[in-house]
Amino acid sequence: MTALTHSAPSRLRFDLWWLPRGILLGLLAFAIFGPLANLLLWAVTERWYFPHTLPLEYGFSFWARVFSPRGNAMESLTNSVIVAILAVAVSLALAIPAGYALARLKLPLRGLILLVFMIPQAFPNLPVYVNVARLFYEIGLNGTIAGVVLVHVTHGLVFAVWIATAAFAAIDVELEQAARSIGAGPLQTFRDVTLPLAMPGLMASAIFVFLESLDEFTGSYFVGAPDVNMLPLLLYNAGAGGNYQVASITALLLLIPSVGFMLVVERFLKADVLSRVGR
Amino acid sequence: MKTLLQATTLALALGVMPASAAELTVVTAGDQNMVDYINEYLGPLFEKQYPGNTVRAVGTGPGDAGSQKITERFEAQAKAGSEKWDTDVAVVHEKFAGPMVQAGYLEAYRPNIETGKLVTRANADMALGTKVSGYVMPMFNSQTALAYNPALVANPPKSYEELVAWAKEHPKQFGYNGIKGGASGVSFVMGWIYAFGGSDAAKLMNGPFEEAEIKKWDGAFASLKEFTQNATLTPGNAGTLDLLSRGEIAIGPVWVDMFYSWQADGRMPPEIKLVLPAPGMPGQPMHYVIPAKAANKDLAEKFVALATSPKVQGEGIVKRFNWYPGIDAKYVQPELDEASWNKLFTDIEPEDLAAKGKTFPIAPYNNAILEAYERQAAN
Amino acid sequence: MSKRLLGLILVLPALAVIVLLFLVPLAASVVGAFVADGRYGLANFEKAFALYTQDIIFTVVIVSFSTFIIGALSTAIAGYLTLGENPRAVAILRWLYRWPMFIPFIVVGQVLRTFLAKNGLMNNMLIGAGLITPMQASGMLDWRGIVIAFVWKQTPFVTLLLAGAMASLDRGTIEAARNLGASRLRILLEIVLPQVATTLVVGLILSFVTMMSVLSVPLMINAQSPTMITADIAFRINAYGDYGVANALGLISLGVTACVAWIYLRQTMKERA
Repeated sequence: MTALTHSAPSRLRFDLWWLPRGILLGLLAFAIFGPLANLLLWAVTERWYFPHTLPLEYGFSFWARVFSPRGNAMESLTNSVIVAILAVAVSLALAIPAGYALARLKLPLRGLILLVFMIPQAFPNLPVYVNVARLFYEIGLNGTIAGVVLVHVTHGLVFAVWIATAAFAAIDVELEQAARSIGAGPLQTFRDVTLPLAMPGLMASAIFVFLESLDEFTGSYFVGAPDVNMLPLLLYNAGAGGNYQVASITALLLLIPSVGFMLVVERFLKADVLSRVGR
Repeated sequence: MKTLLQATTLALALGVMPASAAELTVVTAGDQNMVDYINEYLGPLFEKQYPGNTVRAVGTGPGDAGSQKITERFEAQAKAGSEKWDTDVAVVHEKFAGPMVQAGYLEAYRPNIETGKLVTRANADMALGTKVSGYVMPMFNSQTALAYNPALVANPPKSYEELVAWAKEHPKQFGYNGIKGGASGVSFVMGWIYAFGGSDAAKLMNGPFEEAEIKKWDGAFASLKEFTQNATLTPGNAGTLDLLSRGEIAIGPVWVDMFYSWQADGRMPPEIKLVLPAPGMPGQPMHYVIPAKAANKDLAEKFVALATSPKVQGEGIVKRFNWYPGIDAKYVQPELDEASWNKLFTDIEPEDLAAKGKTFPIAPYNNAILEAYERQAAN
Repeated sequence: MSKRLLGLILVLPALAVIVLLFLVPLAASVVGAFVADGRYGLANFEKAFALYTQDIIFTVVIVSFSTFIIGALSTAIAGYLTLGENPRAVAILRWLYRWPMFIPFIVVGQVLRTFLAKNGLMNNMLIGAGLITPMQASGMLDWRGIVIAFVWKQTPFVTLLLAGAMASLDRGTIEAARNLGASRLRILLEIVLPQVATTLVVGLILSFVTMMSVLSVPLMINAQSPTMITADIAFRINAYGDYGVANALGLISLGVTACVAWIYLRQTMKERA
């Protein structure tokens, strides 16, 4: 509120601070949207090569290729979104108790446990997936949504657990103790005091798990294909082969659920934060 | 339990009989256009001929990495002891056909299909030194060559020697992708050893393997190191094409099939041309293979028979993509008008191709050359 | 029930997923790293160091350098989002910074390859705007490209975490310091940053791990040698089918990340003790 009353009179004269601000924001915008402009241009390019600064011919023929009825782009996109949402749900369900325990309760080998969660991200996956696929073939999980979700969860858990641990650790223990002293039970305290305070961190980790799932293609291929097809596989094939148009279009398609998910999470967050302010 | 058993026997029986409505799964390495080819052209054609069945394609990505993923998929199912594998037909690079045959993953189906007789080229029987006859049918033959910009290279080098001389006069104008970013760079290196290695190229391509050959290459790698310092290194197969298309390099080794796809997709100026330098550069076929435990083996054989029929090879491979056919050319040529056929040889003439289209060295030499490059020529 | 037991029960489900679905399958690979020519030994590690020491050092240096820049940039952006006084500038920045986070790594590789090349879109735009001449244009498809790609993609990730942590800080001390006339930079570095240090370090470590494991960026942007460990691993597997050296390189990479993570873990251990 103070900011508003502050800026009202100054709106009339030129705010000199806009000069450095504008330059910095402009540079940042160039750094961020320059490469993105490239992506957008390639998505509608028919022909583009040296020495032409901009595409020679625009069109949507590659969109037709991506969306051709047999290409299953929409089915893959739907699969990817379902898997991502499930991966977020499972990861959070596992990470919230684990994070709380790691942050608050005395655990033997705590450091080692945290390190273990990091291994799926840290160790190159290709040699491991053969063994994972073999295991899944044996127990019939190959070619199922559940199988793909589990693979994505193993990768997402490092974000979920580490961030949840940090979020719970950052909460003042005295707040919980205060709740307990006025008669709240441990579960009630957790639900009404601890969880809401950790929510911003948990939601951020949800976004990362979601994005991680939408980026993943090696595990999706070994465990999902050919029955469960995922959009990032198409993205990978096109991208690695230098098919800029198809890769750009696929990336734009994946942008929709990613940005959408973040907006939903943010709306949820904002309402939550506001309600706490009003209390 | 009993009903389960009955259900399984029934399912097995159905699998052996020509199933009335099956879903044929084709897993293919290679660029996205391979997936598109099966989804948009071969699949519908097959479904029209064998009504009630459907074809679905899965891509595993370009380059050796794509074929490696197929090998690993087979390995996982073999180790898991799966009775019915989830792949009916796979398309893999030559290099991976041998190991797959040796591991016992594949079905020797070529005698069962009629088009099997239409292939006589040696690379359908031997793959980098491993006997694969019967197990593979070539989808198409690919070739590496030098792509160059005629505006910058008036007289394209006809041999590796000429290329070295040209590159000396035009520093950083030659570009290639080393050996870690894809097989077009690997192919250039193999050609370099054929040209300067001091070994008999035929021995490298056909064997037998002798440790002593490796020692002979030291001089060639030393000169390659020097040559590379004067060249531009590009990020990957696509990277070479990318830098060519934006005029940053004037000449570089490319896969002919990728090159034409880039031109067709508007990412490569139409003026860029190809040349195959002496003594030659390697090429390789992409092979159709059928796993021994494929769920729809009969249908898979029918699919490959259709895919390697002269008509499909002509219309699908030559006309659609400008790729060299997998089966013998004399069966394909009658299916096409002269213009479409001649387009195949716009830059590289049939005689050139016959004389300078080499194969990759057999696997042990192949690995030895790559390791020697890593140790001696990478800077 | 003791706290220890309760803690273990709470961690167990998550741990079980990792152990069953990753560590057990991984075990076979780890054993494979110590087997060469059918014998147990360190031959694979010897070969890995003989061929790729330069690449290992390069990877550590590049990723550390990128992490450092990411830390600086995300602190600056999150700091401005928290302490900035012009609501319009804050709103613009908040809208602006997040976009790269949504672009998958393989596309990051692609867009930056065509953006940073000598005749890429960036130089073409700069030339078009008259800022540089064609002669001055140079490509950045080497280590600089990798660093730019990493910073571009990962800065929003850390910033998002950091801005969230800063937003939930108590405004009281910040306002008090402001009233005492402290500059915003001092408030950021001396009051805000120490309180969110854990979040920053967690974000940076997670970024570090992610960057260590990315394959597409070095493959698509960096043409030169040395290259990153991930590219070597892919090469060992795809070119030679050599899982032994690949797994040895994987363990080396894991060791590097474990060292970095350990720094953080020791620090938090000390705080808790």
